[in-house]
Formats: sequence, C-alpha cells, structure tokens
Amino acid sequence: MPLVVALLSAPAAAAFGMLRPAGAAPVGAAFCALAFGATLWGFASGGGAVDVAWAPSWDLRLHLELDGLAALYALLATGVGFAVLVYSSRYLPLHLEHQDRPLSDGTSFYFFVLLFMGSMVGLAMAQDLILVFVFWDLTAIASYYLIGFDSHDPDSRASALMALLVTGVTAVLLLIGAVMLYAAHGTFSIPELAGRVEPGPLLTTAGLLIAVAGLAKSAQVPFHFWLPRAMAAPTPVSAYLHSAAMVAAGVLLLGRLYPLLQKSDVLLDVLLVVGSLSMAVGGVLALTRDVLKQLLAYSTVSQYGYVVVMYGLGGEYGAVGASFYVLVHALCKSALFLSAGTVTEATGSDRLSGLGGLYRSMPLLAVGSGVAAAGLAALPLTAGFFKDELFFAAALERGPVFAGLAVFGAALTFAYTWRFWGGIFLGTSDAEADRTSGVLVLPVVALGGLTLLGGIFVGPYLGLALAAGSDSLRAPADVVAAYHLDARPENLMALATYGLGVAIVLSRPLWSGAAGALSRLGERAGPERLYGMGLRGLNGLSDRAHRAEARDLRSRVAAILLPGGILAGAGILVTPTGGTYRVGTVEAGDIPLLLALVPVAVAALTTTFTKRHVTLALVLSSAGFVLALVYAFFGAPDVALVAVLVETVLTLLFLGTLRLIPYEVLHRQAGLPTEKRPRKVFFAAVAGASTFAVVWATLSRPAPERSVAEEHLKRTPEAHAGDAVTAILADFRGLDTLGEISVVALVLLAVLTLLRGGRLR
Amino acid sequence: MTSAMTRMVARLLLLPTLITAVAILVKGYTQPGDGFSAGVVASLGVLLQLMVFGREEAEKIPGVRQAGTLAFVGLLAALGLAVWPLLLGDAVLTHYPPPGAKVLHFGTLEFITAVLFDCAIFVLVFGFVVGTVGAISRAIEDADEQEAP
Repeated sequence: MPLVVALLSAPAAAAFGMLRPAGAAPVGAAFCALAFGATLWGFASGGGAVDVAWAPSWDLRLHLELDGLAALYALLATGVGFAVLVYSSRYLPLHLEHQDRPLSDGTSFYFFVLLFMGSMVGLAMAQDLILVFVFWDLTAIASYYLIGFDSHDPDSRASALMALLVTGVTAVLLLIGAVMLYAAHGTFSIPELAGRVEPGPLLTTAGLLIAVAGLAKSAQVPFHFWLPRAMAAPTPVSAYLHSAAMVAAGVLLLGRLYPLLQKSDVLLDVLLVVGSLSMAVGGVLALTRDVLKQLLAYSTVSQYGYVVVMYGLGGEYGAVGASFYVLVHALCKSALFLSAGTVTEATGSDRLSGLGGLYRSMPLLAVGSGVAAAGLAALPLTAGFFKDELFFAAALERGPVFAGLAVFGAALTFAYTWRFWGGIFLGTSDAEADRTSGVLVLPVVALGGLTLLGGIFVGPYLGLALAAGSDSLRAPADVVAAYHLDARPENLMALATYGLGVAIVLSRPLWSGAAGALSRLGERAGPERLYGMGLRGLNGLSDRAHRAEARDLRSRVAAILLPGGILAGAGILVTPTGGTYRVGTVEAGDIPLLLALVPVAVAALTTTFTKRHVTLALVLSSAGFVLALVYAFFGAPDVALVAVLVETVLTLLFLGTLRLIPYEVLHRQAGLPTEKRPRKVFFAAVAGASTFAVVWATLSRPAPERSVAEEHLKRTPEAHAGDAVTAILADFRGLDTLGEISVVALVLLAVLTLLRGGRLR
Repeated sequence: MTSAMTRMVARLLLLPTLITAVAILVKGYTQPGDGFSAGVVASLGVLLQLMVFGREEAEKIPGVRQAGTLAFVGLLAALGLAVWPLLLGDAVLTHYPPPGAKVLHFGTLEFITAVLFDCAIFVLVFGFVVGTVGAISRAIEDADEQEAP
C-alpha cells in the first residue's frame, strides 16, 4: 500500500538523519519515489481498498481507498514531493549556512516534509469523515513546524501560528459538520453518506461548515491572509505546501465531499462567490507585489479561486476541470516557486525591482521556468492550455456572465505570470548571478518538462483528472480536451484572454495606483487585522483569567472550592430530599471502624490549626493512612494497598517540594493575613458543608447501580482473572486506563519541563 | 550523612522490595495488586536508596537515570498493546486468549496479554514516580549549588 510507504518515510528519514545529517535527504527522496511508484502501480492495477472497523461501537472505521481522486492527489503529493526533496538536498544546506545553523537542523525539516506527505496521501485516500479529520490535523501540525522552520525568527513563528490557527480552528468546523451528518444519517462514511443525504437545511449547514474548513485550507477569501504570511518558510516548503499539498488539501476536501455538496444549490453558489472573489483579490494583489514569493502566494490564492469556482459551476466540465486544474497548477506553481528560490540564492535579491535580464546567465532555468509560466498562463503546447479550455467550457455552460468572469480571471493570471517571469529574466539590470548548482535547476526543468509533455500528450493527465472527476460526481465523466483549429467559443475566449492580459501588462501605469490602494485597504481593514485583534483579545482574556485564578496557591484552591461548593449546594437544594439523609444504627461490629475514624477526624481538625507546612503535610498523610485502614475494614484489599502506596508517595513528594521552597518564603507564607481570614473561612465552610451533604446522601442509600459491578464480577473468571479490580483496570475498562496513563505521562512531562525552566535538556 | 544502621537497612531492603513488586505484578491477575501498586512499591524501594545514599549512588541502579524516558516507553507499550488487535481484525484493546480458551499457567502467573498491559502500566508508574522525585532532587541539588558556590 502506498500509504504505508508514505507514512514510513518520515521516521526512516529522521532515523538516517540522526545517524548522518547528509543521509536524510537521499533516504527521504528514495522513499518518496517509492511511494510515488506504489501509488502509480496501485492505481494502474485497479486501485485497492482497506476497510477495518477499529471501534465498531462508535462506528469508527479505517476506510481507505485508492480511487481516482486519491490517486491524483497522492501522485501530486509524492511526485512534487520528490522534486522538492531533490531540490532541498542542495538548497537546505545553503539556507542553514546563511543562518549559521548546524546541518543536523535539517533532519527535522525532512521529517516534517515527509510527515506532511504521508498525511496528505492518507487524506487523499480517507473515505471516512473522522479519518479525514485526523489526517487533516496531521497536515496542519506538520505545516506548523515547516512554516516555522526558522524558529529563531519571531516573524516566522507568528506566521506558523497564524497558519495553524486559521486552518486548525476551521478544522473544528469540519468535525462539527461531520458529527451533524452522523447524528442525522448514522454514518461517517462518505460513500454511504452520499447515498443517504437529502437536500435541506441540515445538509446546507453541515456542508457549509465543512466547506469553510476546505476554503480556509485553500486560502480563499476571507481566509487568504495566512498564505502570503506563510512565505516566511524556506522556499522548498512554500513550493511544496503552497502549490501541491497544503492548499490542495482544501480543494481535495471539496472534491471528496462533492457528492454531498452538489445536492445543495446554496452551497454551490457560496463556492462560486468565494472562488470569484479570491480569483479577483488574489490576482489584483499579485500584480502589486514586489517580493517574488509574495507574488506567487497571491497568485496561488487566485488559482485556487479558479478551482473553487469550477466546483461551484458544477457539471462534468466543472468537476473534471477542477481536478485537471489542480494537477497542472501544482506542476507549474512548484516550478515557479523553486525558480524563485534559485534566483534568490544566486543573486541575493528576492524582489522583482532588483532583478532582470537573468536569461543570459541562467538560460536553462529561464527555459524551465518559462515553460512552467507558460503553462500557468495557459499558452498552447502546454498542459495549461487545456486547464483553461475546460474552465471556459464549464463557465460557458452556465452563461455569458460567467464566461466574462472567466476571461477576466485568466487575463489576470496571464498578466502576473508575465510580470513574474519577464521581471526576472528579461530586460536589463545590474543583478549579478553566481553560478548555481545543477540540483537547484534540474527539478524546475523537470517540472517544466512535465507541463510541456502534458501540452502534447494530454491523455494520461486527462485520464487522471477524469477518474478524479468521476469520483467527485459519482458518475462516469466524459470530457475531451484537444486542440481545435476553429473558431469555437473556448478558442475565442483564450484569444481574448491573451489580448486582455497583454493590455493589462501594457497599461500598468493606469491601474497600479488603484491596485495599490486596494492592497492598502486590505491591510487596514482586512481579515488579517480582525485575526490580530481576535488573537490579542483572547490572549488578554486568558491572562486575566490566569491572574485571577492563579495569583497564589490560596486563590487557586478557592477558585475550585467555592464554585464547586456552590454548584453542589445548589444541586442539593433543588433535589427532592425525602429519605435521602438517614442516620444508621451503630452495631458492635462497627466499633473498630469508628475507633479508626477518630484519628482521621483529629488529624483533619489539626490541619486547620497547624502553622508549619511540614507538620501540615505529615498530619494530612496520617489521615490518609488511617483511611487506608478503613478500606481494609471494608474488605477492599486492592484499594487499601493503593491508598497506602499513594499516601507514601504523596508524603515524599510533599516533603521534597517543601524543601525546594526557600525557608523564609515558607515561613512568611505560613500565617494567613488577618484581614483575609473571614473570607477564607467562608470559602472553606461552603465547600465543606456541601461536600458533607453530598457524602451523607451517598452513604444513606445503597448504590443503585449494582448491575455494572455485578456484571464485572460475573465476567471476571471469563477474563481468566481472580482479582476483579485488576480485570476491570486492564480489560473491561482498559480504554479508561489508557486515557489515565496518558495523563500520568503528560504530568511527568509537565513536571520535568517546569523543574528545568521550560527546557527538557 | 546517614547512620551506618540506616544505610545497612536500606541496602538490605532494596532486593526484597523489588521482589515484592514483581510478585505483586505477577500475581496481580489472580490476587489483589496490579501494575500500579507494583510500580509504586518498586519505586519506593529505589527512592529509599535515593534518600539514604544520594542521587549519584541511586542512579547506578539500572533504569533509574532513564526513569523519565521509561515512563514514555511504558505508555508506548500500552498503546501498542491496545492497537495491535486491529491487525488481527479485532477491536482495540482485545485481550488474548479470548474468554473460555485455555490459558498457560506458571505458578499464579497467567500468560495472557492483559498481564502485558499491566506490565506496561508498571513501567509507566515506576518511571513516573522515580522520574518526578529524581527531578525534584536534582532541582534541590542545583539550588544548593547556587547558594554555596
């Protein structure tokens, strides 16, 4: 299975990288190629599916299938991943050298790139909404570390956090939508849901929630602001995440859930509007940017706007066209990102204004990236021509307004792609280019070559897109893409696009002021500002809550005791109390028990008068030990044993912690300030009274839920156990135990981190 | 410095404590006691050494220095034991052999996967207690060093 190879690649590269930093890249690339081959072979041999119910009682299934949609995105993730890894094997050492960082830092880079690739392949193949959510969040986590790879740079960290928050918070909406669908239709499985859902408000709401998650991941308006910020990442990361993988995951979700989404006209209209807006905003802003990667980032926003529009337009052309578009765009855009990285590496400049005329010193790169740019601008003889042909065909199906919109969007693409390529390689400039390694050029040429190949032999590309489109439509799609030398509308639209594009390029002085104003307006009043305000507000709220609750130990205890006491007290007041509070009889057999409880009471009273912390700790633990004895009286040896042991460890920890605090501080804190005393006594009294009432009520009536305990006891021999407690812990309620021990490990991690001043080493 | 008597008792107590811990663990499925209790008993034995001989000496006992890591090894083992029935097509946390099947005995020790799960809990609890107290004692030493350079 390709997924297994893909998921294994990350740990393998990390292991090799730990042995020898230089070994991570080749091993990672080899695994990448292997995963690519496995996907190709798996798809060619008819796909495959795994369906394991791993928690049947919750209807959670490990349902993976290598269908057309999965094959398209898995091939992109592994194929472009391979090119990017080859590129980074040369780029990353240079990048680390610029920043005086050791070569071994690169290992984590390869680990997260491959982790991303693995989760992307998983996401592509997942057929279960919960599984989709899991892989979705895995990609978000990997992207966080990749975007924040230059972790010494605060700007880079803020960008990584922004990408994580925007895609992570919206991922929760995906989960909510999934649960809504589950509540209504009783399954998380996407193929089953596709057969069961009916158009209606429920589908619209759930579909909207899920679509928002997808749109945020694909950086569509109004969530687009994270993508240009994410350009803080090293260039190979941008080339991978922001052309073929992370942003593609968003439209993958739309494509995967398309059988559901297309049943609601409202959802399709939302997609149309959001996609068109992104197309326009991204395109115009791309024309205003000077920094290479910023230009490409906005162009990605605009390009995925196309894809979303195509899903919104719907129909055969829409679904197949969207898949074809994603494929061609990933090839072209990653090539352009990589050439931006190479140019910056060679000249030291990352701005259009400092570059120009580089075709003389870097002819091979100019050709490779030129072909990719031509593909993006949809010139004939490249695969890009067909992506626009399908786009125009889909728009024509819906009417002339959409056709006009499509031509305008494509013309914007033409203009900014020309600006990017022409600005770097044509014209004159005093930019000096150092000799660059062939490894930094070859991946660009290879990706450009694939674009050119698709322009001549479109068959395999279209076949993949057809398979993916049929999965989205749940019906066999039949769309033809070919050159026609006649005056059909698609060809006329393409010609209009070229003309309009040239006009936009030539009339730059006329509109640059207006575009700049739009860009400034976006910075002033755009969603990025809203995000910043929200983040600051939440931070402030959390700080205030922290200050109120955790100012000192006493107020923290009070913050738990008082609300707890009041809530429990309110609960007692509204509950009918007939026969709840009974005083039982004392029999002769109970006297040893009562005698044992006397020291507990004495110890408890003593704690309220003790001033010294050490005495307090010892008195508390003595109460605990006597309570353990009480358990023994009740014939619960397991509980008694655990109580004794826990009490011993607690006492040791108490004493050890007290030793950590300087003596004077401890002494000063021992006395309670007199003015605060009445308040604290009141807190303690409320909490104590309600606890007393609750315990009394519990003890007054024999536990009604005997059935569970009896069931456990009955089944203990079946589990080959003599001791019911152990059998419950390890077998019947094993999942609870698993959760509890995870908490224990987490606490250990927290203790170690705190004691070592926030570091683990 | 501790007295000679304390040191001798502490040294003599280590092995019996560990044996008791293993006994609690092994017979856990038939008699009172489980991985948790066993882990605490074992760590108490080690902690006695730590208090009497100091951290340097105690860390010569195998597994004490790496106690923190050990806790996560235990967690991973428990997770692995919980998940691997999936490979056989069963639900998470299925234990083998299934109810009604014959079980191999060695004394009171039963060869069932639930006992392995218990062992993982043992490792985790041991790692947690020794790791936490070890970290605290290291912090105390660091603080003392800073006071008297």
